[in-house]
Amino acid sequence: MLKRTFACAVAAAALFAASHAIADTKDKKIALSNNYAGNSWRQAMLRSWDKVTKPAVEAGIVAAADPFTTAENQVTEQAAQIQNLVLQGYNAIVLNAASPDALNGAVKEACDAGVVVVSFDGIVTEPCAWRIAVDFKQMGKDEVLYLKDKMPQGGNLLEIRGLAGVFVDDEISKGIHEGVAENPQFKIVGSVHGDWDQAKAQAAVAGILPSLPEIAAVVTQGGDGYGAAQAFKAAGRPTPLIIMGNREDELKWWKEQKDANGYETMSVSIAPGVSTLAFWVAQMILDGKDVPKDLVVPFLRIDQDNLEQNLANTEAGGVANVEYTAEDAQKVVDAAKK
Amino acid sequence: MTMLRRIADKPWLWSFVAAFATWLATIAFTGGQGGEQLLTAAFTFATFFVIVGIGQMFVITLGPGNVDLSIPATITLAGSVAMKVADTQDSMILLSLVAALACGLAVGVFNYALILILRIPPIIATLSSSFVVLSTAIAYGRGLRIKPPPMLADFTTAQVAGVPVLAICVAFLAAVMGVVLHRTVYGRSVIAIGQNQRAAALAGIKVERIRFMTYVLSAMLAALCGYLFSGFSGGSSLSMGEQYLLASIAVVVIGGTSVAGGNANLPGLWGAALFLFLVQSMLNTYQLSAGLRYLATGLIIIAVIVLAGGEKARR
Repeated sequence: MLKRTFACAVAAAALFAASHAIADTKDKKIALSNNYAGNSWRQAMLRSWDKVTKPAVEAGIVAAADPFTTAENQVTEQAAQIQNLVLQGYNAIVLNAASPDALNGAVKEACDAGVVVVSFDGIVTEPCAWRIAVDFKQMGKDEVLYLKDKMPQGGNLLEIRGLAGVFVDDEISKGIHEGVAENPQFKIVGSVHGDWDQAKAQAAVAGILPSLPEIAAVVTQGGDGYGAAQAFKAAGRPTPLIIMGNREDELKWWKEQKDANGYETMSVSIAPGVSTLAFWVAQMILDGKDVPKDLVVPFLRIDQDNLEQNLANTEAGGVANVEYTAEDAQKVVDAAKK
Repeated sequence: MTMLRRIADKPWLWSFVAAFATWLATIAFTGGQGGEQLLTAAFTFATFFVIVGIGQMFVITLGPGNVDLSIPATITLAGSVAMKVADTQDSMILLSLVAALACGLAVGVFNYALILILRIPPIIATLSSSFVVLSTAIAYGRGLRIKPPPMLADFTTAQVAGVPVLAICVAFLAAVMGVVLHRTVYGRSVIAIGQNQRAAALAGIKVERIRFMTYVLSAMLAALCGYLFSGFSGGSSLSMGEQYLLASIAVVVIGGTSVAGGNANLPGLWGAALFLFLVQSMLNTYQLSAGLRYLATGLIIIAVIVLAGGEKARR
């Protein structure tokens, strides 16, 4: 009897020790592999990463959470970076990838070496990696659905796209075109590439505007709304409804218009803090929790009534942002399990 | 006939012909609607290309291997520094201009130090310095977009009877630089070095001093562009310089300046800058897909260069 109790206790202790070892991530090292840092969104993304991971490291939740950014936004460079991170002994790599498929080889090698790879924003298709994706198509469609409510009579639309050849640009544009196909009262009369940059968007819109009929609304992808507004103003044309993309200058312009003439629009984009969501997801996986491979991150949408509040929380010249907590990550995971 | 040939001998003419043809092709599509506004927009954006184009033209004229690839980074750095110094205060407009130009001066000196002291070829030196400069801009501005002072914004976007005020100022600047190029010892030295560096040195031209001045000039014009462009587009941003890397070289080459050096063409910069903007507008107006647009842009630019270069070969 005593022997049996003892055996049970040993087994229980062993089990406890084992589960404890799995549940403990304080020795685990997480790295952020980032392909690009040259715009305000990416800068905010890196700042959010620091803001959330530094306290997490200090609190002993993980041993390290170091960000690495490649200089050239090149696939080869990032592939080499991933290999280096594996060699340096990181247990998980949180990845914003330069390409959805060209990094698959390097990601597979990392998985084979026992490293957890969590891709977000710029996701990878390699099945062994986790993906925190954004439903960009839905984001584009939501813009048209908003317009449908706002102007049921329809009208001419000008579309400002992002960087040609990038997955995100294709998806948002597909969503917009799908929305327009379902709502034939809208017609896209012009489409330009603004590369998510106010100055480029301004130049592109200024160039096409003289050839266009009256524009009821401008559908955008973020980082281009303010430039579009400037181009309309310079051409002396009435300001249409311009969908914004959460940049501070866009929100500020919107606020000015709202105060001056009751201007109404909406603003939607991805919070750069999604990097912190990816961090918590990686931590959960290292913790041995069951996490589905495909997760979906919510958009950050700003409407007429919460404009002031969001503007106040946004750093001058920055992007509206939210940082995620471990609980937020848990919710996203639970939602994906359903 | 001789008059015709004399006109055709001016290589800069082709860029204007191309710009005009592109403009016609665009408004033909819209049935003549919006032609004037399109021209206004073209002059507005061409102005910035011309500013950096002047600097790049002087550098390229120095002869084979000379090119300034740090222009985009310099634009970004100067823009961010100037907007941060100005802090949206009208009273700081001049001081922020000085700050921007000081950035340009520093980058120019740094570029030339790499070229002369470390003996790095200019193409590598300016490319690597651009990483340093852009990183400085990122560290300094942290990617935030700071609004320009209202007076600067008003000045850079002002128009008189449909003509952008800035374009008039830059036309004046270009005219002055034209005189500098053709009528001063400095400008003629640049051309002489480009034609034959050894001969120029033997003739007593201080080659290295002229090269130094030219790289500084290019960086300072880039800084000026960064300052004005920040005012125009409502603030500086980290990606504001990107489009100027190829554009600064393209306006020089399309404008009829010899890539081999020793033969500069200032008026052509205007034609080429207008042309570059109008080609994009034309292809956007035609609603071509992005892939086709890139293809057409490349083919049209090649066609214009071949036309302009072909005339020169026959001479």
